[in-house]
Amino acid sequence: MASKSGSALAPPAWDEILALVGREAGERLLLQRLLEAWCAQREVAEAALYADGERGLERAAAVGVAFPEVLAGGRPANALALDVPGGVLVFRPSGPPPPAVEPLLVLLASALRQLRLERQLKRQRFQVNYRGVELEALYEVGLAIASTLNLEELAEVILLRAVSLLDARRGALYLLEKERYVLHGTIGGDAVAALAAFEAQAADAALLPGATHLLTVSITIEGQPRGLLVVADKESRDGVGPFPLADHRTLGLFANQAAIALENARLHRAALEKERLEREMELAAEIQSRLLPKQAPMLEGFAIAGWNRPARQVGGDYYDFLHLADGRLGLTVGDVSGKGVAAALLVSTLHSAVRLLLDRIEVGPALLARLNQHILESSAPNKFITLLLAELDPAAGVLRYVNAGHNPGLLLGRDGSLRTLGPGGLPLGLLPGSTYRSETLSMERGDLLCLYSDGVTECLSPADEEFSIEGLARVLLQTRELPLEEVIEAVDRAATDFSCGQPQGDDQTLVLLRRD
Amino acid sequence: MTETLRLSVDRRDGLAVIYTEGYINNQGGEEIARSAYELLGEGYKALLLNLAGTKIVNSIGISILIEIIEKMLEIEGRLAFCCLTPTIEKTFHIMGLAQYAGIYSDEAAALAELRRA
Repeated sequence: MASKSGSALAPPAWDEILALVGREAGERLLLQRLLEAWCAQREVAEAALYADGERGLERAAAVGVAFPEVLAGGRPANALALDVPGGVLVFRPSGPPPPAVEPLLVLLASALRQLRLERQLKRQRFQVNYRGVELEALYEVGLAIASTLNLEELAEVILLRAVSLLDARRGALYLLEKERYVLHGTIGGDAVAALAAFEAQAADAALLPGATHLLTVSITIEGQPRGLLVVADKESRDGVGPFPLADHRTLGLFANQAAIALENARLHRAALEKERLEREMELAAEIQSRLLPKQAPMLEGFAIAGWNRPARQVGGDYYDFLHLADGRLGLTVGDVSGKGVAAALLVSTLHSAVRLLLDRIEVGPALLARLNQHILESSAPNKFITLLLAELDPAAGVLRYVNAGHNPGLLLGRDGSLRTLGPGGLPLGLLPGSTYRSETLSMERGDLLCLYSDGVTECLSPADEEFSIEGLARVLLQTRELPLEEVIEAVDRAATDFSCGQPQGDDQTLVLLRRD
Repeated sequence: MTETLRLSVDRRDGLAVIYTEGYINNQGGEEIARSAYELLGEGYKALLLNLAGTKIVNSIGISILIEIIEKMLEIEGRLAFCCLTPTIEKTFHIMGLAQYAGIYSDEAAALAELRRA
């Protein structure tokens, strides 16, 4: 409170004093003016009026040289003290001691009482209002459950609210990620960046280095830990201390609300991630579908058709038709070990390699050896590709082929005979330095060549029996004179019927070539 | 996220703006009070507290801000707040600070109002 040094002898400003009575926030100024009036009347140059307060006797008004703000260690030396209801008046008299009771002192005591009552009222009002803030905080976190799905924003809201609600000097929020509690926010100082889940109980005290009084609650969903909410050092005007029991309950309640909000945000993030992956898979499927021929080539004297259906969005099967020099036609069917994205990526690699190498090397052992080396260098050690690559000379009706570990192709003769296109070497990418052997065969009018992947012949019945090469050959035999698209439909229908509608287990590919 | 409070003061034409950055708790509140009382001592009777850099305030900080408001009322000065987060603004309304100190969304509006009063 400002003192009026040197003005102690000024006459009382009664009109100002009267105006202060009942003025908003005028209690302390009223006390000051009354004290100044008393000092003027008693010719006292130095005085201070102390009121009972939270810290003891606290100075409420002063005139002249300031006495201490709080009378903690007894009354000042060389000073007189007059007890008044609710406080004490300390002064250095310049003349004889004043009487213990006089009108101005009564007014001072009355104003002191008014000040005390005002303070009590303010404290109570503050506490009531702050309960409102606490309820608001809990309500807002509840609202955040519905409105905030951003995990980082939510973590910040929860931490800010918890720390302010409990008057903590410091705080931190950890979320469980892969068996580790990872720091997602801190207030008021550093915190340990992460700790193993099993260390959480033992390491509580060390989470906020330098903090004295920690309060930690676990954030759980259906009994499963999801995070830790830590606050430290409960503040008061005098410093910091431990948190009372009521705060433990409040923080627990807060953690329950936070758990639901965080779980919602986590599920939302997981859903977004799933959606993103699905979009990428759709894109990958579209890209892969472009690798397959849009339509079969037209070749006089021959009917040609191809068909592919992956088991997942993207697959590991592949077929292609290639226009080669001198009117020859390349046909290829491949199958990458495994399924899904990894297999699809290798299909892409193979597709490019075959197309590029066929410009420089003709179909035969050298081409396959080169492809084997390329796949070995560009794929994971456990990945390999079976491939049947053929070259048709349509004028001569001669088919030259190399089979790198792929299912044996089938050649159905017009007379009903069945010939297989057996292996001429190991799958690509299996061993370095693999060698290959090419074979040739003649195609007569009415002969039907069928190249396929094992997804067709190995599709299973409910009794775990395979559709088999024999099953495929049977359908081909029955339908070999139909348009090739209908032959493909017949094979698909037969295999589907055989599996009794069970989910397709593997990618399926068919390439048909018939000499008409 | 938030460390201890940092303060800066801009004195301009009889008005003073106190900028805060960080947590308004016991320590932060005391810092603001010290700065505000210094400005009162220099003769400034119109203060603006720009809390754009503050996301969090606790009950101790609020009680200190209320003391500053009371001091301003005693000397018939003017105090205003600006750039509060929605949460802090709501807290100030609940705690009654808005009854005695203006709350403005931006600094220009707050300064204009302080100058007009």
